[in-house]
Amino acid sequence: MLTHQNASPVAPKRVVVVGAGGFVGSTILKELADAGVPTLGLTRREVDLLASSGADALKAALKPDDAVVFVSAVAPAKNAAQMMTNLRMAEAACVALAAAPPAHLLYISSDAVYVDDANPVTEKSAVAPSTTHGMMHAARELMFRSEYRGPFAALRPTLIYGARDPHSGYGPNRFRRQAAKGEPITIFGEGEERRDHIAIEDVARLARLILFHRSSGALNAVTGISTSFHDIANIVAAQFTPHAEVKSVPRPGPRPHLLHRFFDIADCYRAFPDFHFEPLADGLARVHRETRVQ
Amino acid sequence: MSERPTIGYAGMTHLGLCSSIAAASKGFATVGFDADAALIGRLEAGQLPVVEPGLDDLLRDNRSRIGFSADAKRLTQCDVIYVAPDVPTDDAGRSDLSSLDRLLDHVLAHSRPDTVVVVLSQVPPGFTRARQRAERLLYYQVETLVFGRAVERATLPERFIVGCPDPAAPLPEAFDTFLKAFGCPILPMRFESAELTKISINCCLVASVSVANTLAALCEKIGADWSEIVPALKLDRRIGPHSYLAPGLGLAGGNLERDLATVLRFSEEHGTEAGVIASFVANSAHRKDWALRTLHEAVLAEASDATIAVLGLAYKENTHSVKNSPSLALIRQLGPWRLKVFDPVVPASAAPHPAAAGAKSALEAVENADALAIMTPWPQFRELSCAAIARAMRGKLVLDPYRVLDGAAAHKAGLDCRTLGVS
Repeated sequence: MLTHQNASPVAPKRVVVVGAGGFVGSTILKELADAGVPTLGLTRREVDLLASSGADALKAALKPDDAVVFVSAVAPAKNAAQMMTNLRMAEAACVALAAAPPAHLLYISSDAVYVDDANPVTEKSAVAPSTTHGMMHAARELMFRSEYRGPFAALRPTLIYGARDPHSGYGPNRFRRQAAKGEPITIFGEGEERRDHIAIEDVARLARLILFHRSSGALNAVTGISTSFHDIANIVAAQFTPHAEVKSVPRPGPRPHLLHRFFDIADCYRAFPDFHFEPLADGLARVHRETRVQ
Repeated sequence: MSERPTIGYAGMTHLGLCSSIAAASKGFATVGFDADAALIGRLEAGQLPVVEPGLDDLLRDNRSRIGFSADAKRLTQCDVIYVAPDVPTDDAGRSDLSSLDRLLDHVLAHSRPDTVVVVLSQVPPGFTRARQRAERLLYYQVETLVFGRAVERATLPERFIVGCPDPAAPLPEAFDTFLKAFGCPILPMRFESAELTKISINCCLVASVSVANTLAALCEKIGADWSEIVPALKLDRRIGPHSYLAPGLGLAGGNLERDLATVLRFSEEHGTEAGVIASFVANSAHRKDWALRTLHEAVLAEASDATIAVLGLAYKENTHSVKNSPSLALIRQLGPWRLKVFDPVVPASAAPHPAAAGAKSALEAVENADALAIMTPWPQFRELSCAAIARAMRGKLVLDPYRVLDGAAAHKAGLDCRTLGVS
C-alpha cells in the first residue's frame, strides 16, 4: 500500500535514474523527460557501483531535492554469485544515499519477492521469495528501507513486455522473436499457466505517478488480468502473415505445482484511481507495430 | 424479594437504550441513566438517537415504567444495574475500555451495596474478574445486540449467558427474578468463559460468512449461483436454517472485527495457533474491495468522467450506523468521479468524497449515472422499478451485491447487474 506525501501530483525538481541504460531505466527516463521533468540518467559508465569509487561517484551526483530511481541490476540473479553482485551494488548505493540523502527514493523491485502460494497476490502477501532473484530484490528493498530515512517506495513489476526488451524470457518477447524469424512459437506443455503481463510503458507511468506523489510503501506493477501463455502465443501468432505456428514442446522440468498467478490490484485503484492499464491484446498489437517500424 | 426489582441501565447507548426499554416492556420499573443531560432531555421528550424497527412503539407503550435521568442519585433506587456504555474501537479493532471503567466506578460509587452490578458491554476475557471488589456483587452478562434487530433480540433473547464469581452459587434474587421474566434458558458460568462465549459466538458467525464469501467468489467465476446452494446448506442439520450464509462486502459494524482482533491478541500473548482467524480478517479485507474492483473493471477503466450513483451509506439496513460501512469504504476511493448518493437515514454529508451530491430520492440519485452501486440493502430499495432505473441512468452497470433488485426484471430492463455469488 502506498502513502502519498503529495496528495496532488507535483513534479520533482530532478529525478536521478540509477541504471538508466537498461530496458526499464531508459523507459522511465523517457517517461519523465516527456513529462518535462529534469532528469539525470546514470549508467555504469558514469557510476560503476561495483568499483571501489562507486559509492563516492553516486554521492557526488546527488542533490538534496532529487528523487532517485534505483533500477540498476545484473538481472536476472540466477545464482548466489549474481545475487551477491547485486547486493554489493545496493550496498554501495546505500552508502551514497545515507551520506547524501535525496528527497525521495523509488526502487524498482520484482513480484518475485512474494511467497509462491499467495493467491491472489497483493501488496500484503508474505515476502518470502523462493528464488535467488526474488531474494535479491527482497534484500535490496530491506537494505534501502534500513539505510535511507526518507520516503521510500518499492515498485514490484510482474512480467514485463516491450518492443525494446533485450531479454528473451518465456513469454511475449520470445514468442514475437520466434515468429519474426519464421520459427514456430514454442509453448511448454499446453501453455496453460496464466500470468500477468504488463507493458513497460505502464511500469514507467506508475513510476512517474509514484515520483510525482512522493509516495512511500509498496505497489505491485501488475494489470490484475492473468492470461495463459497459450493465449498469448496465439495472439502473437495471429499478428504475422501467414500466422505463425504455435507448437507445444515438452516442459523443461516438472509441471509447476501452482500453475497460475493472479493479482488483486485494489491497492492500485486506491493509490491511483484514474490510472488505466493498457489491455494486453492492445499492448501486444502496439509492440508488433513498433518492432516492424524498427 | 417480594416485589419486582427495579432495573437500572447506565449508559444510554444503542445497547443500553434498547435493553432498558426491553426491561420496561417486561413490566419492570426501569431507570435509564446517562451523564449527558442533553441526551437525557431528548430521551425524556421521546426522541431516540438510534434507528431500530419497533423501538419507538415499544418506548411509547412502556413509557410509564421507564424514567431517564442524568442524576446518578436515581441509581440508588435500582436493585440491578446494567453498565452498558459503547466501548469504542480503533481501526485495528482494539477496544478502549477507559470510558467503561469510569462509568463502572461511577455506578459502584452511587449504588447501594446490595445492588447487583452487571457489566453488559463487550469486554475481553479477564476484564470482570480483575474488577471484583469486596462486598460488592459484580457480574457480567453477554449482550447479543444485532443492529437493525435490537428490539427482537432484547425482548426475545435465545438465552442469557452470565459470568459469575461462583457459577455453582445461585444468582442474587433480584437478578434471577429479572432474568427469569424473559422465559429463556439462563447459563451461569465463570467470568472468563462468559467473556469468551461472546467472542466464540462471533467467531462462529464470521466463519460462516467467510465460507459464504469464499465460495460465492468462486460461484462468480464458474457459472454457479450461491443463492441456489444456500437452501441446501440450511436444510443440513449440522449447518442449520439460521446460519449466516449470505455473502457480504466484508465485516462491518465494529463488533465482529473487535472480537477477531481480541482472539489474535490473546493467541499471540499465549502462543496458541490462530491462523484461521487471520484468514477471516484477510477474507473480509479482500471482499470489502469487491465493489471497487467491479466498478473499475466494468466502467472506470475506460471512463475518466463517469458519474456514479450510490444508494445506501449505512453499514447495513435499518440502522444509522456507518462504522466500517462498505459504502463509505467504496466512496472514499471514488474521488476523481462525480458522485450522487442517497440513504433513507444517513445524510449525504457522511459520504467521504470531495463533491458528493445528496439526492432526495433513490431515483433522483441514479439520474444520468453511468454506474449504480446499491451498497446497503434497505427494504425500500427493493421497491425500485428496474425499468425506471434503466430509463433514468445513462449507463447500464448496476452493482447489486445483496440482490436487492429482481435479477430477471433487471435483465429485461437491459441493466448489467452484478451480484455477489453469481456469475
